[in-house]
Amino acid sequence: MPRLRPSLFWTARRDISPFAALLLRVCRDVPSAANELRWIREHIALTSSPAPPKFRLWKLCEKRAKGTPLQYVLGTQPFGGLEIKCRPGVLIPRHETEAYTTELAQILVRHQPSSSTPLSILDLCTGTGCIALGLLSLLPSPVHIHGIDISPTAISLANTNLHHNTRLGLLPPQPSSIHFTPADIFSPFLLPFLTQPTWDLLISNPPYISRGAFARETARAVRNYEPRLALVPDRDGETAVLGCASEDVFYARLLQLAGILAPRRVFFEVAGIEQAARVVDMVRGDARLSGFYPQVEIWRDSPHEEYEMQRVRNYEVPFRGSGGARGVYLCRHDQR
Amino acid sequence: MLAAPWICRSCARSLRSAGVPRLLRRASTIATLPPALVERARKIAAEHDKLTTALETDFDQKTAVRVGETSRVATALREFEKANASLAELGSLLESNDAELRELAQDDLESTQAQLADLGRKLSVALTPKHPFADMPCLLEIRPGPGGTEGRFFADSLFRMYKSYCDNKGYPTRIVKYDVSESDGQKGSEGEVALQEAILEVQQTGAYGEFRGESGMHRVQRVPATEKSGRTHTSAVAVWVLPSFPETPSTDAESEWDNPESDFYIDVTEVRVETMRARGAGGQHVNKTESAIRLTHMPTGTMVSMQDSRSQHTNRREAWRLLRSRMAQQKREAREELAQNLKSSVLASSQITRGDKIRTYNYQQDRCTEHRSGLDVHNLPNVLEGGEKLGEIFESVQGWLTERDIQTILAEEQAEAAPKGKKGKGALP
Ligand SMILES: C[S@@+](CC[C@H](N)C(=O)[O-])C[C@H]1O[C@@H](n2cnc3c(N)ncnc32)[C@H](O)[C@@H]1O
Repeated sequence: MPRLRPSLFWTARRDISPFAALLLRVCRDVPSAANELRWIREHIALTSSPAPPKFRLWKLCEKRAKGTPLQYVLGTQPFGGLEIKCRPGVLIPRHETEAYTTELAQILVRHQPSSSTPLSILDLCTGTGCIALGLLSLLPSPVHIHGIDISPTAISLANTNLHHNTRLGLLPPQPSSIHFTPADIFSPFLLPFLTQPTWDLLISNPPYISRGAFARETARAVRNYEPRLALVPDRDGETAVLGCASEDVFYARLLQLAGILAPRRVFFEVAGIEQAARVVDMVRGDARLSGFYPQVEIWRDSPHEEYEMQRVRNYEVPFRGSGGARGVYLCRHDQR
Repeated sequence: MLAAPWICRSCARSLRSAGVPRLLRRASTIATLPPALVERARKIAAEHDKLTTALETDFDQKTAVRVGETSRVATALREFEKANASLAELGSLLESNDAELRELAQDDLESTQAQLADLGRKLSVALTPKHPFADMPCLLEIRPGPGGTEGRFFADSLFRMYKSYCDNKGYPTRIVKYDVSESDGQKGSEGEVALQEAILEVQQTGAYGEFRGESGMHRVQRVPATEKSGRTHTSAVAVWVLPSFPETPSTDAESEWDNPESDFYIDVTEVRVETMRARGAGGQHVNKTESAIRLTHMPTGTMVSMQDSRSQHTNRREAWRLLRSRMAQQKREAREELAQNLKSSVLASSQITRGDKIRTYNYQQDRCTEHRSGLDVHNLPNVLEGGEKLGEIFESVQGWLTERDIQTILAEEQAEAAPKGKKGKGALP
């Protein structure tokens, strides 16, 4: 990372406060430092603690300045209209995830077959539960949602988030059924648990960063503070069996499940255009899957309704929205 | 003609403080309101009476509505004329030979005059069309003019002034945006920060009506804390007042958003939405906290950005609300300009444009000058604390606004009376 001009620190110190200068080390520019300082102050004002506020301010700013992600420092990250609690050991929800979750909710509402049959959603690798809970808040109840994660810490946090947001009145009070279960999606015993006539949506934001990219391309706050389990697929055995790049192994497994469960819609988050293209290849190269899903789209960071056709390797693919390639979306022919 | 003594209380006050003799003290006749205005009121009252009689014989929905519209003027005129008549009567009593009678009349004079002033003001108000946004809450946007830090500090002073004015009045407020500038120096002499842009929402019904006169350039003259030579600097801060929908949009407000006829309508396909792009690969690779949203209404180039909340969702919602408010104000202004252009140039002198300064805050002289109403107020600290002195300024501006509206009506009246009679009777602002 390039060194910051010393004058910037002076500016932050003079214009805002010494705390802003401290935060500048991780924020890299004065407006973000000012914003983060304000958010830390707001947090202190809104939460109670026996420690004096000045002391807390100092502690929190110091922690942040050492590199801890703000979301772990404050313990939350907004997601749609929700307040998602964040704890070390569980990945922090990203803005891009929030964007496609919102867009998917709109599609589901638009195409809901009838309001009497509840929509059903399977969220694999649910983490904080942000996607599952985000959809719950955006869809007309009742909905049926099942979230799965290998990490017990994540499952317990997802449940905490369900209760926390229900208590805050941000989620409807429970005529819906929502469950978070600890399980390994590679487990051969998983399928019997996923019985449901037909899922309306199978969604997943699985670990997708290659080992090399993890070392080179991730931000320090990610590499040093977020769980590797959530970011890097370390599944060499399965990779060998499924015959794909090691960072794509979750998609191979997820598509296997999609082939069996045949959900009406499927969405996977991906790292970028290369990975998106490989996932499109996996779908198109599989007769059964391409039979189910004639519609395969690539979504960018800010998805919206309009799309443009673009050639990706051997296929013409519709791209939605603006920004970098962020997800692959599949839709069954009977759902268009 | 326009120099005719006004009845409006706040104008009377500003005239007084500007050193004009108290014309209202004289036991005058109906001349206390411009004749053309009274003429107009009489015309409307006559129409009202005619329609009321018509309604008695056969009912018609449209007539009934018109009767409702005109009744305010008819009532106000009746009361005004009654007070006027009693004032005339008192006038003749004052000339009486009977000392006791004269004394009695003298006793009554003051209160009758005050009453007349009040009724005259009511009549003027009844005659001037209500601003369509008048009942709404409002957004106050504060932005320093180009130039040094002084302007930014003063922008913060104005922000605090409005905030405390609302606090004093018990109006609920909400800070929608408070962006502190990135560059340059220290704090201002009163601990102000260098403000780049702030938006304060006054969540009070009718706030738009009360604050709309604040729109324009506010000028400050003072010696900056950093200025060693003691030279006075002049800088400017722009204030815009926008109508805003109540925080929790009722179904009414929401339907306004979808109604292409409404000022608050925006064709969403004409708006470009941008979020701050992450450095590098995005997604799982970074966990950025920036949640800024920028909206651009492409046909007009109107741009708003919002970054104050950690929640992108909230920033997006606020940005859309602000964009709608700005667009509504723009559409309204465009229509007003159109209407003004249709009218005679009588108005030109009372119009202010965006670039004109409306008020000067002079620290050395402890004085605040409101340029439109001509009001001069001392005790600047009280003004900046949003105290009763600021209230006086507000009142004088309201008086000025009413005066301007009345001039518009008079100009219209003249245009109508003119033999060539152009086209229709141009829309009122
Ligand atoms: C990138 S995070 C996504 C979290 C959350 N859905 C979100 O979007 O913020 C991936 C999650 O997958 C979980 N995970 C990793 N390996 C898994 C496996 N074999 N089976 C199920 N979950 C797994 C991790 O614990 C982590 O919570």
